[in-house]
Amino acid sequence: MQGLPLQFTNVSKAFSIKGKALPVIDNLSLDCPAGSFTALLGPSGCGKSTLLRLALALESEDSGSLRIGGDSPRSICRSGAVGVAFQDAALLPWRSVEENIRLPFEVLGRKRPDPEKINGLIELVGLKGFEKARPGELSGGMRQRVAIARSLATEPRVLLMDEPFGALDLILRRQMNLELQRIWSAKRPTTLLITHGIDEAVYLADRVIVLSPRPARVLADIPVSFSRPRGAELLRDPAFHHVCDRIAALLDPETSAASAAAETAALDAAPVAAPAKAGTTA
Amino acid sequence: MTRFGDHLATGVLILLLLAAWEVAGQLKLVADGTLPPLSAILLRLAAEWREYWPHVAATLYTASLGFLIGNAVALAAAVSFCLWPVAERVFRGVNIAAFTVPPIALAPVLVIALDGETARITLAALLVYFPTMTAALAGLRSADPRAVDLIRAYGGGPLRTLWLLRLRAALPAILSGFQVAAPAAVLGAVLAEFGSGARWGLGTFLLGSLGRAEPDRLWGIGLTATAIAGLGYALSATLAARTTSLNRAVNIGITGPEPETANEAPLRRALLLAAAILMPLLIWQAMLFWADLSPIIAKTPMGVIDYLITGKTAASAQTRLLAALAETVPITIAGMLLGLGFAFALALLSFAAPLLMRALLPFALVTQTMPLVALTPLAVLILGRGITVTLVITISVTFFAAFVVLAQGFAMIPKAAFDLVDAYGASTLRKVRLIAIPASRQWLFVAARLALPKALLGVMIAEWLATGKGLGNLLNQSRGYLDYGMIWTVAVVSILLSVLLYQLTPVLEWVGRSDRRVR
Ligand SMILES: Nc1ncnc2c1ncn2[C@@H]1O[C@H](COP(=O)(O)OP(=O)(O)OP(=O)(O)O)[C@@H](O)[C@H]1O
Ligand SMILES: [Mg+2]
Repeated sequence: MQGLPLQFTNVSKAFSIKGKALPVIDNLSLDCPAGSFTALLGPSGCGKSTLLRLALALESEDSGSLRIGGDSPRSICRSGAVGVAFQDAALLPWRSVEENIRLPFEVLGRKRPDPEKINGLIELVGLKGFEKARPGELSGGMRQRVAIARSLATEPRVLLMDEPFGALDLILRRQMNLELQRIWSAKRPTTLLITHGIDEAVYLADRVIVLSPRPARVLADIPVSFSRPRGAELLRDPAFHHVCDRIAALLDPETSAASAAAETAALDAAPVAAPAKAGTTA
Repeated sequence: MTRFGDHLATGVLILLLLAAWEVAGQLKLVADGTLPPLSAILLRLAAEWREYWPHVAATLYTASLGFLIGNAVALAAAVSFCLWPVAERVFRGVNIAAFTVPPIALAPVLVIALDGETARITLAALLVYFPTMTAALAGLRSADPRAVDLIRAYGGGPLRTLWLLRLRAALPAILSGFQVAAPAAVLGAVLAEFGSGARWGLGTFLLGSLGRAEPDRLWGIGLTATAIAGLGYALSATLAARTTSLNRAVNIGITGPEPETANEAPLRRALLLAAAILMPLLIWQAMLFWADLSPIIAKTPMGVIDYLITGKTAASAQTRLLAALAETVPITIAGMLLGLGFAFALALLSFAAPLLMRALLPFALVTQTMPLVALTPLAVLILGRGITVTLVITISVTFFAAFVVLAQGFAMIPKAAFDLVDAYGASTLRKVRLIAIPASRQWLFVAARLALPKALLGVMIAEWLATGKGLGNLLNQSRGYLDYGMIWTVAVVSILLSVLLYQLTPVLEWVGRSDRRVR
């Protein structure tokens, strides 16, 4: 199972609030090659979740086009090739952890996955012993982990995650990051991860996209080429911090404009050499 | 407090209220003994048990079949309306008509058209249909939109969403619909027996006992009907309590938007409205065609128009009708506002003082099943024949359905919402103001929809049996004179009037609409 390429081409989207148009995405193009890992960063309310909802055919774009594996998002979603973890866990309160993880199979009309596999996923997200618990009996972070397990259950070829680790403590977050990296390396689903954690984005992704405040445009497209598997020692690497600092400067409204101009110049001058002259590059 | 302690306290409270009744009865405190002591009622009941039981069996049979059929139709309808919102709008007229047609006016007509037993079951089913349908539809539509998104993201269509999410999410609402429907089925059965000349049934029994001026017998029959209804109510309530706690969303819940109608083409809107108005007429005509009755008894829509507008009866009919409406309309509006206010107050009480509420509930239930026809003579003795008696009866018909829906709404408020204000040490009063009232708003509209058309029914029953005024009296007189034209006219006009009242809810809803589009 190979990942599927994900392409946004000149996508625009506006909502209307009380009759007034609210442009949320402005002529955005983004190309995620098959099997790539892309992290999406941007200020709160800029339109990240909306982008994800477009890719799931939950909203329709006003103009531009959206392709997953050359097909429309709707038909790809129907085929079960896409896994998703929303910002809210969105668990069904009357179903147990197990049953919630199994839900996508029922939606897709597939036969029940074998219990071994579900148990494996539950173990993966550290919820062993809670198989039969209901969402109401779990903590916020535990619920989020159920949602992560659920997004992985169908072995998707495209994995869309919206701040999946938002409610986790630092240690657990690192642990989940490692697991996600492992799964991604093994199965290579095309992954789009929305996050507010700059270090998390750089740690996990091949490439970090920084979006502008609403309406969202691509402010910078920063390749990250540290070798894999990436371990805890990367977090102490000065090159790592250098990349993080550049992204932070882009996200800070005070320094954003200047940094963006610099990024563009750097990209134009030397498209390949630009990213952190990282000593760790393989 | 422990669960056991809760039950104990509720039990003690109920006993206290019963003791108060006994004392009031013994001392003839209420209107010269119209309220007999409980012991006298029960003793009489025990002594006459043999006489009761064939009546009980007949009513139980009619009510249960009506309950089953009415609910089956209601659920099928709610699911269809959820899947095809257009269908709901086309059938809106039929729904309201089914809900608002005064059972007492309908019973004799049904008995002519169908055989007796079928007519009685139909009436019981008719009273069951609307509360379950509305509650179920609201429940189906209230499913967590984030979960809907999730299922859609995995390519699930409307049917999968229905099956995996909406039906289960609607379960508490459906069961709360049953809670209203159970007493309604009994009331429908009793009213139908009352008006259909059945041989057996509590309604028949009641009719035979009315002339004898024996309050303890009347109360005995009323309490028996209450016990039957209470059984159905308790069953649904128990099931509802189980599912509700599981259904509470774990995060602060967001309800999905109602199907969009704001930017709809005017032509389409007009067509749908026309369809909604024509549909009941079509069904009316079709049923008469199918039943094959004499046009003297069974008036078609054209027959009613002829009677009221174009025929030679028109002048007299119009004068009588307008005079009746002038008396009925103002008091209906007053009654429905009071009924709704009372329901809201009760629901708040049940939220703020659940214990007291649970003790009061059985007594509230009595007003629902204690057949109005039996209650009204007693109410007249206590309150006289003035405006008060009409208002009290109207409140008693309107408040219960509204109350159940509101209380359910309060119970569905997610825990997280309260945790938030609890954290700031909010008093109960403040919790009510900040969370309970705003969060129950959507339920208030459902409640209003249930209450508004019922108000007219209450007023008409009171007018018929107590005050001798208005539309209710006109209907009663027409039955006496075998003036079938007027019977049909009153039925049609009262339905139209209720439709008008029902249309007030969307207006209210529109006014109260400020926080709908949250995601
Ligand atoms: N259904 C909707 N109707 C109207 N406006 C919407 C809707 N959904 C989102 N918006 C608006 O679109 C903008 C972007 O929302 P979105 O949820 O995509 O932001 P985000 O980048 O995911 O933010 P965050 O990081 O806080 O999750 C917001 O300003 C929001 O108000
Ligand atoms: Mg978001």
